Amino acid sequence: MTTKSPIRPRDRDTIISALRAGVVPRIGLQHIQVGRQREIGALLQDIERIGSGGSSIRFVIGPYGAGKTFFLFLVRQIALQRKLAVCQADLAPDRRIHATGGQARGLYAELVRSLATRTAPDGGALKNILESYIQKTAERAASSGGAIEAAIKEGLGDLREMVGGYDFATVVAAYARGYEEGNDDLQNAALRWLRGEYSTKTEARADLGVRTIIDDAAFYDGLRLLARFTRLAGFGGLLVCLDELVNLYKLQHSQARNQNYEQILRILNDVLQGTTEGIGFILGGTPDTLLDTRRGLYSYEALQSRLAANSFAVNGLADYSGPVVNLPNLTPEELYHLLERLRDVFAAGDPERWLLPDEALHAFMDHCASRIGEAYFRTPRNTVKAFVDLLAIIEQNPGADWRALLGAVDVAEDRGAVADHDIVEGEGDPDDELATLRL
Amino acid sequence: MTSLPPSGFDRLSEPVRKWIWRQGWTSLRDVQEKAIPAILAGGDVVVSARTAAGKTEAAFLPLLTRLAERQTDGFSILYVSPLKALINDQFRRLESLCETCGMLLHKWHGDVAATAKSKARKRPSGIVLITPESLEALLVRRGGEVLRLFGNLDAVVIDELHAFIGTERGMQLQSILNRIEVAAGRDRVDRIGLSATLGDMRFAAEALRPGGGTSVRLVEGIDEGNGLRLQIRGYLRPVPPDEEEEAEAKERPQVPEAVAADLFRFLRGRSNLLFAGSRTNVELYADALRGLCETAQLPNEFFPHHGNLSKAAREEVELRLREDPRPTTAVATTTLELGVDIGDVETVAQIGPGFSVASLRQRLGRSGRRAGKPAVLRIFAIERAAGRGQHPLDRLHLDLVQSIAMVECLADGWCEPPRPAGLHLSTLIHQILAVILQTGGIRPPIAWKLLCERGPFRMIDRGLFADLLRVMASAENRLVEQSPEGLLMIGEAGEKIAESHEFYPVFATEREYRIVHETRTLGTYPLDSTVAYGETIIFAGRRWQVMEVDDRARVIIVRSAKAGKPPYFSGVGGDIHDRIVETMRKVLASHDTPPYLDKIATGLLEEARAAFSGMGLASDSCIAFGNGVLVFPWAGTKKLRTLTLAFQAREFKAGHFGHAVELQDCRPDAVYELLAAMAAAPPPDGMALAMRLVQPPLAKFDGFLSRELMGLVTVSERLEVGALPLLAQKLQSPLSVDLNSSVRDRA
Repeated sequence: MTTKSPIRPRDRDTIISALRAGVVPRIGLQHIQVGRQREIGALLQDIERIGSGGSSIRFVIGPYGAGKTFFLFLVRQIALQRKLAVCQADLAPDRRIHATGGQARGLYAELVRSLATRTAPDGGALKNILESYIQKTAERAASSGGAIEAAIKEGLGDLREMVGGYDFATVVAAYARGYEEGNDDLQNAALRWLRGEYSTKTEARADLGVRTIIDDAAFYDGLRLLARFTRLAGFGGLLVCLDELVNLYKLQHSQARNQNYEQILRILNDVLQGTTEGIGFILGGTPDTLLDTRRGLYSYEALQSRLAANSFAVNGLADYSGPVVNLPNLTPEELYHLLERLRDVFAAGDPERWLLPDEALHAFMDHCASRIGEAYFRTPRNTVKAFVDLLAIIEQNPGADWRALLGAVDVAEDRGAVADHDIVEGEGDPDDELATLRL
Repeated sequence: MTSLPPSGFDRLSEPVRKWIWRQGWTSLRDVQEKAIPAILAGGDVVVSARTAAGKTEAAFLPLLTRLAERQTDGFSILYVSPLKALINDQFRRLESLCETCGMLLHKWHGDVAATAKSKARKRPSGIVLITPESLEALLVRRGGEVLRLFGNLDAVVIDELHAFIGTERGMQLQSILNRIEVAAGRDRVDRIGLSATLGDMRFAAEALRPGGGTSVRLVEGIDEGNGLRLQIRGYLRPVPPDEEEEAEAKERPQVPEAVAADLFRFLRGRSNLLFAGSRTNVELYADALRGLCETAQLPNEFFPHHGNLSKAAREEVELRLREDPRPTTAVATTTLELGVDIGDVETVAQIGPGFSVASLRQRLGRSGRRAGKPAVLRIFAIERAAGRGQHPLDRLHLDLVQSIAMVECLADGWCEPPRPAGLHLSTLIHQILAVILQTGGIRPPIAWKLLCERGPFRMIDRGLFADLLRVMASAENRLVEQSPEGLLMIGEAGEKIAESHEFYPVFATEREYRIVHETRTLGTYPLDSTVAYGETIIFAGRRWQVMEVDDRARVIIVRSAKAGKPPYFSGVGGDIHDRIVETMRKVLASHDTPPYLDKIATGLLEEARAAFSGMGLASDSCIAFGNGVLVFPWAGTKKLRTLTLAFQAREFKAGHFGHAVELQDCRPDAVYELLAAMAAAPPPDGMALAMRLVQPPLAKFDGFLSRELMGLVTVSERLEVGALPLLAQKLQSPLSVDLNSSVRDRA
């Protein structure tokens, strides 16, 4: 992770276009990572624990725009390098941990679709994992001289013992059979089943001869089976990243919220007690999602006692072994460092091609600080966007003077994902009493 | 089947024509001929005609023609009806037509199996027949699917449009339709309204498209409907020989024998509705009729239905009326007209005049739905025979006169216009909660734009909306709360409300208050109107002064008021519109006898007219009575109440009963003087007047409003402060008001 190394053009373009849109780039994260060493260290330990058959759960908590998603992506990349399988999904009104209307199945399906390994980092790795298992088993069978089919079945013995594992194993075996026989229909049916895409049992029974499907109720058990299976297939384990936990907080029915929290509690208990194997969870959310005692995770008594901060972790002392990781604010130094890195990205790592002198970085930070005050240190997203915009202008208009441009830089205070929800177009006048209404 | 008129029929699509041909129709009805080109052209249309004149086909024949060339995902036509039973009827009626056109048809209301609904939701297509409440539930519970379900909606058909005008349910429906348009990303979806013929169809047009009524096309059919048979029957209440017995009789009201006997004779053996007014009356009449069944050794067919009965008991009556072939008469309060489903009946009877022409029209609409059967309505007016020393109000037989006036208004095709300045804050509270649930959280300015700027709550500006949100979020209400980034979310108390099935309907059940004197409960009083502290009310034949009103416990604490003899007529009821009271005066001042009165009613009307001219009411508006004065403004309840409050504000002991204001301890000339002063002065401060009132929560969510917001609602919906000077002026010189023109002007 050194800034001095040249940056590949593909990485450069991806980073710039993603940051300008205010989203996290999928690749090249190492080029723009600053600070948060201890938090990354804590997650690294988790990854190692998962890889050695343990389990973990972390709540990554930070305000809007603080870099939660960035952090999650970074951890994801590290996990991939450590031979874990990784899946990731945003919670949403139609993707929940617990539901009865297909939303939990929807989340499961999304997670499996996003399943990534080091060789298939962009998702869709379920097939790779299945084939890796078949190949490994086939090799073993060849060396011991047994039949492949029997070896496949035998290898899945552990899986069968688990909740819902019998049908899972049957489907994996069906895939293997389809693979050996070149039966695409059977393979596709098995993939469909494993991805949680069957919505009726009758259909699954007709195609695969199994009596169950992965439905809303089987969300967590499905992930545990998947995690166990990735280990059988030779991977370290499964890391599950669930972002936008705030969407549970925003559920408008108390019953629905509580059921989701209950499911989280079940996962948390399993992990803390060590009854699961080779699976890790990272959940990203805003402070309210955690702390609000009316509708946040803390509203669920049993979760509050388990997630409460270590009462000794005050006055700069930190505890990184608890399940909650608070993303600290970027310090001004770290922010400055971030701007430097962005400048490097634009220059493709070549100091000769820097678009701005150091002096301009200071001026930019001063400008932002005077504009929206200390809040901007907390939420780098908009600052980064404004800075990248500025660099883009200077790059395309070589004659432009950064001093003149700086005055026009406008950094809005980050209000989070609110505007995404507006169903009526148009922003009222800024004096609108309702826009600033606080109840 | 030789020659169909070339016009409308030829423009219909092939399958639709085939269906018509198969029905063996020889021609299209007038309303259908007129509606076909209007609906084919697109845009909003109101189709009005009598019941059973073929309005449904008038809408669906051209709509299905419009859809013939299109096959899209999502529902094509949304048909909204106030009644489940009507949906079941329409389903049967449209089934073969839709089949011929290859169009799916779905029933969607509380009694339809969940599997059928979820099947329709999974592959949305065709026509949905739905109630406003089920539509609300669909939006709230499946907010994310609106685009998929309704993105390609071709038209919305609203049946019984007249039943929605100016009501809470109407506001809700307008808001729902607006929310669908917005969530489906559509600028507007054509709305087709099916309505009874009203005198002024602009009301219907405005109710169909709030703020855009002028662009709505009006189609009026001249077909003969099934017709209407109506009678007002007069009855004499027996006068007890001495005063003591009289007071007792008033405390224990009884059904006059002749009334019970006639009700039994007319209603037994058929399915009917009997609207008896208050809950006490409902029990009384149901009991009397049950007694008659027993005496005659017949199975009982009369069942009470009111808000105090358990839900199961009510539903049993509704079910029996809807599905049981045995003859059944539901004896009901106003609850039954508010959208409770009981299907159609043969005849409707009511005791007393009721309080609005719109509700009379709705009650009437419950009968005469079947082909060839006219609607039958009997109004039973019970008055006291003329006697010495009667209260002037009793001598005017106001119940009977009001019944006549309302029938006259109904015959003119008039009904109460929507309250133009209505704030509908209660319904707005409901819609805010519903929108939060639908969207999963919404920012205040967006909610305002959606509901108030684009939606039907046009009277609410940003400031008032903010005030309402603050009240909803207050520590004692906790209906909403806000996420750190400003999204409105459902609060703790709001969750309890929103998670119940009772959340979807907006209309409230009638509210009755217990009247308590010292430690004794005197009985219940339907408080569907406001009362002022210190105001005198008449209950159980005596006068009482209102001391305290507890809205939560529903108790009114009174002390007995010393004053003259009370009138029998107490005039308890909802707000009566100006035009009805003006027509009452016309009825009293004229000499024709309406043909729909029976013999006793005719006699009573003559007595009333004699009393009217005898008391000098034809020329004077104030007459001396006892120690006080009776003022007859001949204006609606709102004006009457405002006038009473204005008198009270000037330290008069004033109360209003039965279309008159009663002032104690004063002389007519003093009153005329005061009226002159009122006429000259600017209107008083409405809020100050409203604050003198006890403001009972009338609409479903009124109970959450702060005193200030409730005051605003009272001023805008329940008082007419601005009209006071003019009213006072008219009262000084009643002769200068030309009776005929005053009525016509208003229309």
